[in-house]
Amino acid sequence: MPHHLKGRTSIQGSSLTRWFFVGPAMLVVICLLIYPLCTTVLYSFTDKTMIRADFNFTGFENYTRILTDPDFWSSFANSLVWTIFGVLGQLAIGFTGALCLNRIKSPVMRNVFRITAIIPWAFPSIATAMVWKWLLNGIYGFVPVSLRNLGITEGLAQFFSTPELVMPTLIFINIWFGFPLIMVNVYAALQTIPQDQYEAAQIDGASAWQSFIHVTVPHIRTVVGLLVVMRTVWIFNNFDLIYMITGGGPAGASSTMPIYIYDTGWTGRMVGRASTASVLLLLFLVILCVLYFRVITRWEKEDDK
Amino acid sequence: MSLKKRFTAGGAFSYVYLTLLCILAVFPLVWLVVSAFKSSGEMLANPTKILPMDWTLENFETVLFTLRFTVNIKNSLIIALATTLVATVISALAAYGIIRFFPKLGNVMTKILITSYMFPSIMLVIPYAVVMRNIHLTNTRTGLVLVYMSFSVPYAVWMLVGFFKTVPIGIEEAARIDGANRIQVFTRVVLPLVRPGLVSTAIYVFINAWNEFLYAMLLVSSSSKTTLSVAVRTLEGADILNWGSMMAASAIVVLPSIFFFILIQNKLAGGLTEGSVK
Repeated sequence: MPHHLKGRTSIQGSSLTRWFFVGPAMLVVICLLIYPLCTTVLYSFTDKTMIRADFNFTGFENYTRILTDPDFWSSFANSLVWTIFGVLGQLAIGFTGALCLNRIKSPVMRNVFRITAIIPWAFPSIATAMVWKWLLNGIYGFVPVSLRNLGITEGLAQFFSTPELVMPTLIFINIWFGFPLIMVNVYAALQTIPQDQYEAAQIDGASAWQSFIHVTVPHIRTVVGLLVVMRTVWIFNNFDLIYMITGGGPAGASSTMPIYIYDTGWTGRMVGRASTASVLLLLFLVILCVLYFRVITRWEKEDDK
Repeated sequence: MSLKKRFTAGGAFSYVYLTLLCILAVFPLVWLVVSAFKSSGEMLANPTKILPMDWTLENFETVLFTLRFTVNIKNSLIIALATTLVATVISALAAYGIIRFFPKLGNVMTKILITSYMFPSIMLVIPYAVVMRNIHLTNTRTGLVLVYMSFSVPYAVWMLVGFFKTVPIGIEEAARIDGANRIQVFTRVVLPLVRPGLVSTAIYVFINAWNEFLYAMLLVSSSSKTTLSVAVRTLEGADILNWGSMMAASAIVVLPSIFFFILIQNKLAGGLTEGSVK
């Protein structure tokens, strides 16, 4: 290889060639993400419905309606609970799982554990919903019947119809589904830490905890940070699980923002108002991500030093 | 001495912890599969017995032939395969284009991916429904495939950028000197080099399209075009709540997904780590 070509990764191409390569994907982004975003913002200021094609501009009426709707705020609160506990739970289980996996000496066992633990990740949302509904079914479900037979509960626990139990149950299912992604990615990041750094820390007399704080954490925090942002956005926007398991019930006890948007736009046919709620949701996520990214970018800069 | 002891204790703890985690991870799958093979009488008589006394195929027969799930399987297959083909081609072109012509973009791919995640499907589906009605794509498999590009392409580009990064530019320059044009270089030199990555990406796109639910439910209403996920959901609304059939139907959705997932499991991580190392 000629020396001057080493280390270069980009090349000059005519603008036509460039667009041949990135054009189709750009078209996807413009037509399927940017255009719908613009229409949503537009609709959010109108009285558009699912039934009629024409609509009128109503200014900020939708916004004042939504922001004074108690259902909106209770959905928002549920979304926060759903997201915060979902992310923390997935992170706690996934992270500890990865640390343990990293300690398993036998490569065979390590693979067995890793492959078995990623199974929930492969579950389609419909199968996740169905199997958990069946496991937790209030009459014949394996879990409630076992709990009663073991004497832990007196009657059959009603996980989905008890308002106090429904959110914790959904969050548990969400953690079950999501921890493997964190585990696999954190484990991959742990593998990139040079072993000699641990040896050096040990020679310096560092305890296991100290080498965790001073060697492990700095190496993997960027990856963990990105995972947290990714999961936050994904869980916040997740519609399938709650829709299929409880539909937001009982009596709105598990309704999150996407469920609220669905109820307004599809069941209630009020496209304008659903769009307003979507815009508010998106704004919230944008602010959240800007804050997250500020921290991650600082870490990245520190890593580069 | 104390150090050594701590390590063995840590190792033992790791085994116990991971064993518990794996049981929790795999039990719903086990329960789903065994329930699918139980007769309805047995399911209701012995709710906590794990293995069926008599393994029966009656649930699968009901689902496939009485409820005609073969039609839904066919729909899901057509849609998922078409999505995989189109998304992989678009994304391979884009990933290569980004790496070679817009390398700065390549370094922020994870952020771009997260940005695309910010658009909730429940928001996007309303404009999609409106546009599809105007261009007469509502209730068509083509329409659904187009819509599936919205989540397939960003993810596939993100995954592929990681794989394309490993292709040394010198090989391409050499082919160029031999007289190949840019597109020939791409198809004959670059693509063969990243084939394993391309296959994993295609499989991942397939799984996601196969599993998709929201768009399939809201944009396709005629029962002859319904996908498998949506068809499973409609079982719940049926008059006779038959958990055996529902588990058999769920097994038909979940098993291909798990099979393909395990095939590509060692390629699933790395994208993020790759990005952080730069």
